[in-house]
Amino acid sequence: MLNKKTELLFVISLFTGAIILLFITYPIINTFSLTKPALILEALQDREVLQSIYISMGAAAITTFISFLLGVPFAYFLARKDFKGKSLIESIIDVPIVIPHTVAGICLLTVLSPRCWFGRMLTNLGIEVLGTIAAIVIAMTFVSMPFLINTAKESFKWVSPRLENVSRTLGATHAQTFFLITFSLSWRDILGGMILTWARAISEFGAVIILAYHPMIAPTLIYERFTCYGMIYAVPVTAILIIISLIIFIILRIIASGRKEEIF
Amino acid sequence: MIEVKDLSLKAGNFRLNSINLTINTGEFFVLLGPTGSGKTVLLEAIAGLKPLNKGKIIISGKDVTDKKPEKRKIAICYQDYALFPHMKVKDNITYGLRFQQDGNKLKYQENFELLVNLLKIEHILDRYPLFLSGGEKQRVALARALITDPDVLLLDEPLSALDAGIKETIEYKMKKLHQTLKTTTIMVTHNFREAYYLADRVGIIKGGNILQTGSVEEIFCHPKSLFVADFVGMKNLFKIEDIKNTFPLELESKAGYLGIRPENIFISDKPVKDAYCFKGRIINFINNGVYMQIDIESQGYIFTSYLTHNHYSQLNLTEGKEVFFGFYPKYMCLI
Repeated sequence: MLNKKTELLFVISLFTGAIILLFITYPIINTFSLTKPALILEALQDREVLQSIYISMGAAAITTFISFLLGVPFAYFLARKDFKGKSLIESIIDVPIVIPHTVAGICLLTVLSPRCWFGRMLTNLGIEVLGTIAAIVIAMTFVSMPFLINTAKESFKWVSPRLENVSRTLGATHAQTFFLITFSLSWRDILGGMILTWARAISEFGAVIILAYHPMIAPTLIYERFTCYGMIYAVPVTAILIIISLIIFIILRIIASGRKEEIF
Repeated sequence: MIEVKDLSLKAGNFRLNSINLTINTGEFFVLLGPTGSGKTVLLEAIAGLKPLNKGKIIISGKDVTDKKPEKRKIAICYQDYALFPHMKVKDNITYGLRFQQDGNKLKYQENFELLVNLLKIEHILDRYPLFLSGGEKQRVALARALITDPDVLLLDEPLSALDAGIKETIEYKMKKLHQTLKTTTIMVTHNFREAYYLADRVGIIKGGNILQTGSVEEIFCHPKSLFVADFVGMKNLFKIEDIKNTFPLELESKAGYLGIRPENIFISDKPVKDAYCFKGRIINFINNGVYMQIDIESQGYIFTSYLTHNHYSQLNLTEGKEVFFGFYPKYMCLI
């Protein structure tokens, strides 16, 4: 009886899984059916398309790097230390995930525009942010950094502090212990978090468009072509972005999964 | 020598209160206490892994209270072994060598070979910890801790996660290792049998307080409190005020309780000279594997005796059988 129940549950799970897979893959596959290789190749020779893809990829990579540099040490601190107000800090980190991204863009604009002392200071220093790649990176970092911090924090929590204790008593400093033990055991998960961050940054549109319509990132270009010229001009660029994102995503996933199962 | 002077610390809701301990160089000291008594916290405090609120830790005459863990020459082995899962056994063992600044490679190579041979782990050097049994993991953890010649070895319940058979082997190897290397060792455990076998001296800890320290003999045969007596397996504990009216025993009036270890209660089919010997009736048997626990009722009191299986079968005991039982005066413990 229990077996039958279990099997029925699996059947239901499989059915819902099939719906999910279809829901994700069909629109992507259908995108390719609406265009032709010749149109994709033509789009690849379009300077504007190529530039938007470079900017998207580059800004997303810089975003991931900044998130890594700032986020990983803080994630380690959060994973190892308990203190009053920790939940509040963790909630603040998650805020960019829950607010609409156009709202995030407006929030950032209020700080970066000359209406705010910070924006005025940047202007006085001759630093132009709005409408530059820097603005794109700022918008992308704001909305995607929480993914890396949360993944890294969970990964560090998974490494027993006792491993670090043993390492310290064997003569390693705190920093040596972090790199040789904690980070060595977490880097694959952190790489997974970096992939998420990068992917989230690539797909960002709402916050970026508020801070920098130009230079154009690929999602902005796709939006512009769709609204100005219709689907037929938007689909080839969309297809290119899907292909490039998937290739990078798959390569990084393979590296991140690696030999982990053999060791743990 | 390790001296812990007036050590106090608070970790969450737990507190260690004014701990004072002295452990001699080369000694195997066992800290015995129930779960949650503060054993591991104390070990980690000695290792420098927990900050102190008060007190001092002195190792070989040097105050190490403010020294970082990596500067204390103390190694720690945890109950769950804490082997680095991403390193092979050999790399686990030699991990600490890269941080040694004396450059004496030959000495460490000799240490490596000695430990690998003593602990019989040569065949697993190229394996990852995932592919080791509990006993193998424990041996690797010991080798890793000892290869750098630490001044002090801290063992946190090293035997508690092992199967009975392997436990005995590791216990034997630990004893052998200590006899060979003479490393000052502090082991914490909740198992008094491990303490009995391994310890030179024992300390009893409860609720963050050290209740008693002393030689194995002192702790096991002359506990100073009912808790210690009960914790080290003294089964026969009677209020002197009550028992002296029933049994003709010469007892000091100052003491509150009489205790007799169960292995010191004999059972015989005839009276025994020079001992306190009484008549009683067998009421219960429990086969504990390596020994038999026999409960004897006499004048409303229940005495517990441990007998070897051989002795037990010679006596031909049955439930309800009348026997002589008793103990020699030297085994009476007044608490």
